[in-house]
Amino acid sequence: METLILDLKKQIIEALNLEDITPDDIDTNAPLFVEGLGLDSIDALELIVLMEKQYGIKLEDPGKSKEIFRSVATMADYISKNRKK
Amino acid sequence: MKKITAYSRITDSLVILNGKPCEITFSCEPGPGRLAEIYRFLESGYPKFFKMDNLSKAGFLASEMVLRSLHYDMESPDESTAVVFANRSSSLDNDKRFQETISREDYFPSPAVFVYTLPNIVTGEVAIRNKILGETSFFILESFDAEKMMIFVDWAFASAGTRRVLCGWTEYLDGHCDVLVMMVEKESDQGVDYNKQNINNIYIT
Repeated sequence: METLILDLKKQIIEALNLEDITPDDIDTNAPLFVEGLGLDSIDALELIVLMEKQYGIKLEDPGKSKEIFRSVATMADYISKNRKK
Repeated sequence: MKKITAYSRITDSLVILNGKPCEITFSCEPGPGRLAEIYRFLESGYPKFFKMDNLSKAGFLASEMVLRSLHYDMESPDESTAVVFANRSSSLDNDKRFQETISREDYFPSPAVFVYTLPNIVTGEVAIRNKILGETSFFILESFDAEKMMIFVDWAFASAGTRRVLCGWTEYLDGHCDVLVMMVEKESDQGVDYNKQNINNIYIT
């Protein structure tokens, strides 16, 4: 799981152009939106694309998005259980 | 009498504020890397800069220079300032980038790239950064044209309550940058007269 979390942090930094931020700067359990990294709605769309591109996961239930994208930890947990690649 | 109270110029080889070159030591070739170097030189502290397309970055930086030189209060909402930009290539620089993301068979279109496939986004970015609530508009012209730009600026001044217009030419395509941003104030005893000749003189510096 630790490798997946580190990979995910690197992919988030690259996908969202988070300049001057390293994986160590991202708290695994901190909220991704509003607080924490302060991501916005466009960033949320980028994270959905990232999940499909990197892990073959298509989010079909928008209602679950809020919980899946709550933090890096919740994303990693969802990916580990649903990844297709 | 309307006055140009501050202006900035960013080209591939120059960064000028109010007629004086900024002493930035570039390590990158002209293009996105150089825009990032100007951002770091200005110490803007606005991480959203890195999410912008190159056109928005160029317009943002030139606006930042002008507004700072005027000690503009970017914390207070301001309905008396308008933003009017123009260029030749619209958002083509970013449009091409987006096209690259969708031209592959297994394509994954990027929402963050897509949102910049309109040229007027740069005016919005500048307005959001500085809490400007006045009119914003963007025009496409064949080439830099001071006379037409003055018409656009005068339209903005026709809006009730507009006292100043942040305006200019924000052209960016294929790594080449040609930007002039000016603040035109309706009533000021500072700066140079707002007329075609002075605008052209500033542009060719």
